Amino acid sequence: MSHPQRTGVIREYDMHSPSVRAGYGVILFLCGIMVVIALFPLVWVILAGFKDLKEFVSSTSILPRSFDIQTFVTTWNQLGIAKNYLNSFISVAGSVVCALIFNGLLGYGLGILKPKGYGVVKKLVMLSLLMPTTISIVPLFMNIQKLGLGNSFLPLWLSYGANAMYVILFVQFFESLPSSIIEASRIDGCSQLQIFFRIVLPLSKPICSVVAIFAINAAWSDFLLPYLVLRGGELQTVMVRLFVFSTEQTVNADAMMRSVVFSMIPPIILFFIFQKQLTENSVSVGIKG
Amino acid sequence: MDGKSTRARRRGKTGENIKSWLIMLPGLLLMTFFVWEPLFESIRMSLYKTRNVELVRYIGLDNFISVMSKDDFLQALTNTFTYTFWSLLIGFGLPILLALLIGETRRGKGFFRTAAYLPNMLPGLAVIILWSAFFSGEKSGVLNILLGRLGVPPQSYLTNYRLVIPIIIVIATWKGAGATALIYMAGMSGINAELYEAAAIDGATVWQRVVHILLPAIRKLAGTLLILQIISVFQIMYEPMVLTKGGPDNASLSLMQLMWQYAFGGSMNYGKASAVAVIVTVILLLMTAVYSYFNRKESDWD
Amino acid sequence: MNRLLKNVSLVLVLCLLFAALPAGMAEGAVDPDLTCTITLGNWPADTAPEAEKALFEGYKATMARLYPNVTLVPDYYSYTLSNYVPMAKGNTAPSIFQPPFTDPQLLISQHLVGDVTDALEAYGVLDKFSPSYVEMLADENGRIYGLPRDGYVLGMHINIDLFRQAGLIDEEGLPIYPKTLQEMAEYGQIIREKTGKAGLVFPASETYGGWLFTNIAWNFGCVGDSALEYQDEDGRWVCNFTSPECVKAMEFMRDLKWKYDILNADATTTDWAGAHSLLGTGEAAMNFAADDSVDQPTANKGLPVEDFALIPFPAGEAGRYALAGGTCYMFAPNITKDQGIALMAYLQVIGKLPFLNDEIIAGMRADYAAKRDRGAPVLPAISAWTDEEYNAAKQAIVDEYCNVDMRLYRDFFDSLSEGTITLKSEEPVFAQQLYRELTAVIQRMITREGADVMKALQKAQDSFQEYLDDEINDY
Repeated sequence: MSHPQRTGVIREYDMHSPSVRAGYGVILFLCGIMVVIALFPLVWVILAGFKDLKEFVSSTSILPRSFDIQTFVTTWNQLGIAKNYLNSFISVAGSVVCALIFNGLLGYGLGILKPKGYGVVKKLVMLSLLMPTTISIVPLFMNIQKLGLGNSFLPLWLSYGANAMYVILFVQFFESLPSSIIEASRIDGCSQLQIFFRIVLPLSKPICSVVAIFAINAAWSDFLLPYLVLRGGELQTVMVRLFVFSTEQTVNADAMMRSVVFSMIPPIILFFIFQKQLTENSVSVGIKG
Repeated sequence: MDGKSTRARRRGKTGENIKSWLIMLPGLLLMTFFVWEPLFESIRMSLYKTRNVELVRYIGLDNFISVMSKDDFLQALTNTFTYTFWSLLIGFGLPILLALLIGETRRGKGFFRTAAYLPNMLPGLAVIILWSAFFSGEKSGVLNILLGRLGVPPQSYLTNYRLVIPIIIVIATWKGAGATALIYMAGMSGINAELYEAAAIDGATVWQRVVHILLPAIRKLAGTLLILQIISVFQIMYEPMVLTKGGPDNASLSLMQLMWQYAFGGSMNYGKASAVAVIVTVILLLMTAVYSYFNRKESDWD
Repeated sequence: MNRLLKNVSLVLVLCLLFAALPAGMAEGAVDPDLTCTITLGNWPADTAPEAEKALFEGYKATMARLYPNVTLVPDYYSYTLSNYVPMAKGNTAPSIFQPPFTDPQLLISQHLVGDVTDALEAYGVLDKFSPSYVEMLADENGRIYGLPRDGYVLGMHINIDLFRQAGLIDEEGLPIYPKTLQEMAEYGQIIREKTGKAGLVFPASETYGGWLFTNIAWNFGCVGDSALEYQDEDGRWVCNFTSPECVKAMEFMRDLKWKYDILNADATTTDWAGAHSLLGTGEAAMNFAADDSVDQPTANKGLPVEDFALIPFPAGEAGRYALAGGTCYMFAPNITKDQGIALMAYLQVIGKLPFLNDEIIAGMRADYAAKRDRGAPVLPAISAWTDEEYNAAKQAIVDEYCNVDMRLYRDFFDSLSEGTITLKSEEPVFAQQLYRELTAVIQRMITREGADVMKALQKAQDSFQEYLDDEINDY
């Protein structure tokens, strides 16, 4: 079996040298430490979730006294997290759809159609990439209130349709598509929208999946705008709930740790499903971005 | 060329332009509503005395003068630069090192990559709450438990004004360094392996190859990531907000957090909040401009 | 048997009392055909305990029976200053909501809340307000904008177990507790030495530290001419943190850390709930806290009621004050006269006006029974009304459900009824901002050994004065 060309600095024949072999041992050791540091906090928070309040506040042991899964079940039920999960899923689903459609269409316009005057818009989008979204959160929140969109998912969904980074990702991808295909379909008499849905979209699966994963993760983790928009109401998402716990102090520290665990489960599942796309595709996208 | 057909084509072109703009319209409307108009509104509000959400009267730069003359602004500005300093010290080199290490492993590379990326997937808020238990000053704080095993008495972390900012940066680095490392890895994998082979034949040690081939090859990427990192750490807000509330005695207060405090922290002074927001924006734009200036110069040399 | 008899006789007494109460006086004030719609903030969310939801559904049913044309719209809104203001401006605020007592004056001065004076008068309860509440909830013309929901008085929570371990216990098994702040520091030291736990938990994060500190400062003499906040002859609001009294109080805070070393490890990040956690789990022996949060260390954090005591706020060298405050009901700025009346009717139904009826009594009983079951102390509530009959009747019900050794609470309640402690409401204007400034000073004192008290207070004073000038003086 032939290996693909190795990319590392250390070459095959270097391994014959004892000092390089020792160095390689050090590399493996350091990588091991990295794995421990990356994973220990995660393992720890799960262990901490098994502790009761007294144990969490007083115990000087990493391991809990008992591993009763019932503690998690009780907290899940008491805090009614299921409802928040549902809200989060609704919020995430709408956000992903908006992120793909609206940013995709805008990216299509800026990357392929390029109508007269598109350059100004493209510059504006590039510039907004630098602007922190939290900077304009005050007037944005006021606008949402004025339109009576408070306590609804709609503004949150739509806010993902206005993401400068996703637009730029789409533009860069579309620009890399061979223009001959698009030109050919144009001659075949396809309208611009037809070209988008029949030609461009099918070719854009990699970028769509990357934007979708980014959007899912961002929408799941988001809490500042959702906190302001969803108020203390029925539609609170998991992260809004966690933020409320941390500011309004209605939940004990042990239940808080279990809530942290609950908030991490979906992203971790998502991560293991899309591991490859995340650690490979999104990286190459990230480089261009 | 026949005049008629040119006109027809031009008309067709105009029609196509209109259609294209129509396709972009929904996205443009959303960008306007969620990004551009609020940004414009921020700038406008920063020039007015506000009473709740109303603009009372135009006061020129008074909000800026009032905000900037206060001690907490100076403290927040200094802190924000301190955040940036620690972030560069702790968080800039580490991803490069990680990328180098993981890139050299011959077996288990996928596993290492996965482990490095995982923290980046976790919700930022959950990460902060999780780590707050690590840095608790009680005997039950995780770090104190671990130090206790080594015979070290319990230490205080979040109440130590010298340590809070580095601690927050450590947490942010834990979350982000792995993902950044993967970007570097992709950059490193683009280096032609023949360069290493050739250098090896010329007798270059592994270390020399790293210094003379690998590092120069990722210099441009590192520059881009550097500016992105500075921009992102400059906006640090919810981490200190949740972890220390900006304390002790404003030792971890960031500029964006100051903005949030003006707006939602009880004084509801949206004019002053906007003034802080505009100041942060201007600083970010300046830094980006400086960066692209040097970047262009460098490209000229290439 | 004896106990049963006692209970039965109590019930009898109660019945007699209620028969004597002017029943239905208020209901006559309301036209049963009253027609309007009111939205009700703080309605229990779907995730709230079943009992709470049922209680509110019950209120709704009662309202529907008494006033069929009044439409109730439940709103899950819970008030924070930041979320309220845009709603008030956008006319989307619920008709009734519950801010803490620190905010009414701000909201009133900014015209963000509705006037209910006429509605109160129609109900005949205007004169039964405790005067301090009238002061808190009215504007300068005496118009009233809010009603007290519940009041609290600051005192000190005690973990008796730690006092016992430190030998601070008398022959009767009662804790020997500090009567003065000085004793508090000394006892705290003993507890620290004997048990290794914190003598005092001081939640010095965000605004809590400043909040508690104002009470300490009053006891050091920051009242009258040395008040932290006052209005000068020209009506200008002035703050004064640099009086000798305030400096002394702040030096005391510094000493708690560096001289006596009785504070918990992470004081500057400890919040209200964190403080209760530490006391409840036996990591700290004393906590400045109020009578309305006695369920926190006990039922919520696991301290058995027999190991818990509530004592009066320790006296200082120049005074014996206790901060009194609470939560109130306030109303949307755009409510109509009819809505005002309907809201009063609703408040009567939920038992927040000084009238008792079977349902309210049943509600109180259910509440106390639930508290007892959860392991929370059942204590008399401090009334926000001056109606004697009403107060006595309520006390009788509390006695029925009492699950604690009242000796552990006697001094606290006696100090209130005998007037040995002076109740004082929060500093009059922009209290939250004042707390924020003072918290920063406290944080500086307890994180930097040898910090300059005067300099830090001067800085906070300048900063808060500028804030006052900006917000009211130059308006």
